[in-house]
Amino acid sequence: MHRYPRWPIHLALLLAGFVMLVPFYWVLKTSVSGENIYAYPPSIVPARIHPFFYVDVWYSIPFARYLLNSVVVSAIAVAGNVLFNAMAGYALTHGFRGKSTVVLLFLTCMMVPFQATIIPAYLITGRLGLLDSWLGLALPQCSTIICIFVFKASFDAVPRSLIDAARIDGLSEWRIVWHVMMPLSKSAIATNVILAFIWSWNNFLWPLIMTRSADMQTLPLGLARFLSYQEDTTGALYAFCIMVLAPGLLLFLLAQKEFMRGLTSGAVKG
Amino acid sequence: MASWARILMHRFVFVPGLLAVMAIAWNAYVFSHDHGIVEGRVVDAAGRPVAGATVALWVYNFTTYEEKEHVSTGADGVFRFTNNPSHRIQISAEKPGLGRSERVLVFLYFRSQDIAIAAPLRLAQGG
Amino acid sequence: MAAFWRVRHRTRQALLLWCFLAPSLAIFLLYRVLPVVWNLVLSFQYWSPLKAAEPAGFDHYEDLLADDVFWQALWNTLIVIASAPVGILIALMLALLVNSEIRGRDVYRTVIFTSYPLMTVAVAIIWRWMFDERVGLLNYAARASHLIDSPIPFLNSFIWALPCVIVANIWQMLGFYMIILLTGLQNIPHELHEAAAIDGANALRRFQRITLPLLRPSIFLAFVIGMLNSVTSFDLVYVMTGGGPGRATEILVTYIYKLGFMQTKFDDAAAVTVVFFVLLVATTWGANQFAGGDAGAAETE
Repeated sequence: MHRYPRWPIHLALLLAGFVMLVPFYWVLKTSVSGENIYAYPPSIVPARIHPFFYVDVWYSIPFARYLLNSVVVSAIAVAGNVLFNAMAGYALTHGFRGKSTVVLLFLTCMMVPFQATIIPAYLITGRLGLLDSWLGLALPQCSTIICIFVFKASFDAVPRSLIDAARIDGLSEWRIVWHVMMPLSKSAIATNVILAFIWSWNNFLWPLIMTRSADMQTLPLGLARFLSYQEDTTGALYAFCIMVLAPGLLLFLLAQKEFMRGLTSGAVKG
Repeated sequence: MASWARILMHRFVFVPGLLAVMAIAWNAYVFSHDHGIVEGRVVDAAGRPVAGATVALWVYNFTTYEEKEHVSTGADGVFRFTNNPSHRIQISAEKPGLGRSERVLVFLYFRSQDIAIAAPLRLAQGG
Repeated sequence: MAAFWRVRHRTRQALLLWCFLAPSLAIFLLYRVLPVVWNLVLSFQYWSPLKAAEPAGFDHYEDLLADDVFWQALWNTLIVIASAPVGILIALMLALLVNSEIRGRDVYRTVIFTSYPLMTVAVAIIWRWMFDERVGLLNYAARASHLIDSPIPFLNSFIWALPCVIVANIWQMLGFYMIILLTGLQNIPHELHEAAAIDGANALRRFQRITLPLLRPSIFLAFVIGMLNSVTSFDLVYVMTGGGPGRATEILVTYIYKLGFMQTKFDDAAAVTVVFFVLLVATTWGANQFAGGDAGAAETE
């Protein structure tokens, strides 16, 4: 292999990193700035720093309620995902009549983006009486096809001998899944949890359509509503933005490997 | 390492655990310091404490400040409010003859935080 | 007798498997299959939540063809689709850089990927602030370096609004594209490169002859996902510009939302949804053809 100088690569990557991080810094600096944020020229590092916009946001909007809603909905979605996807993935590891139809159905469902279903989904949820409820918010997100295939791949890798031994021991199918397969699929579970959580946490359009009352709103919705209510003359909007980003960012930093692995493995499966 | 220590050090336990501990500690602090006491001093233009000045407390309400209550300073120029409900207040002082002070904006970290304002309210003529 | 029990066991087994599949199937049938069918049916009816449905024939589609906003939204959506390759190109360069043997590549990879898992609403607010006419960073930088004299109202201008939204979208998706391409790059066996180098091919030829063809499935995948994502980027458009000055940034998805949930014209919105869905399927199929066959089977052996 050729020896080529490293520093241009570092330079280019540093530039890319800078471009990726600067918007965060700009918003962060505005959220703690003690000066008039609309003064031109804007200061790169504000002279006076204070965290009081965060206090404002905490008290003037129901941040705790939005957070609770987001957490509950995401928890339901994650639990549903792990449960249903594992079951479906396990079923797909066996051959049965109609399996190829089911697989085809799943693959075609992947082609249908959520945005193309909003009107009927809203009407269906209305008929089910689930509008404005946590369950209604979480239900469409309780199963994802990518994750089903991730589980299937993980279950396929479990050695047959283990399953046969479990069957001989008299375990029912249900117990086989939970006591034999799942403990061996920790990375698939982690991937599923992370992906399901992030997708439901960031979901904006569905809560926008679904929620009627102000105290069932989730964080993204609360953030967008804040934008339209307040004239953003203070840094409060940006403090809210940072507060909303913090959990997602924290989770990402904690779980980077699982995240990237989940995206690529799911994506590669088509 | 002992197995319980290994579990504890795992990032998914350690970080949320740390956050929970911080949240509890912060809430304990808030709980013990939220009596709504606001103290401060009033001085005149020369720096001498002013007794009997009227100090007004303004409380943040959506976009403006509303006047909530008045209190008089004691002999040493010290005033004390006892039930501030808000996280953002303004105070101003006035004494007929000596003038009034500016409206000073005070940011608090949480509602009804007990605070002793360091800089005194300065009365000035023609305010 | 034993055969009877075997059959019983097999059907019980099959029944159990179907039970396992049931919850996921139910969710997909309810929230993916049924909506597509319902949309189609609804687009051929006059319906509002208070009245019964009446057949409408092709009326809604005729209304669509005569609707200026629809054409503007369609045009904007096509522009957004066409912008996906730009992002993929940049991500390809980044992936090549990150793939080289330098120290700290994991840090670079994480930093570049950070924007993807964030809430799109927050990203929209961040970029709204960056493009702000008074104190946005871009205006400030341009004025400070004397490129322009007076600030450009980026998000309020008919020419700049859509490109700005596209920039924000590419910023958010760069990390994701890069990860996909990086995985594809890392799957190319080293020996191929080494063999070619021994045979005397320089870096550029190696790239053209080895890297690029083997990367095609990843590029196709990135394109499809990127296109799907940008075309459905309701969050970004709604929060950044709300459809733009006039209708400059209106895309099909936002138009569907406005028709359906702000004007309560569910049947018109259903017709637009059908067109949107057809456009998506057509673009994906077209990309598939362009990538040379069933590139969806990206599990390259």
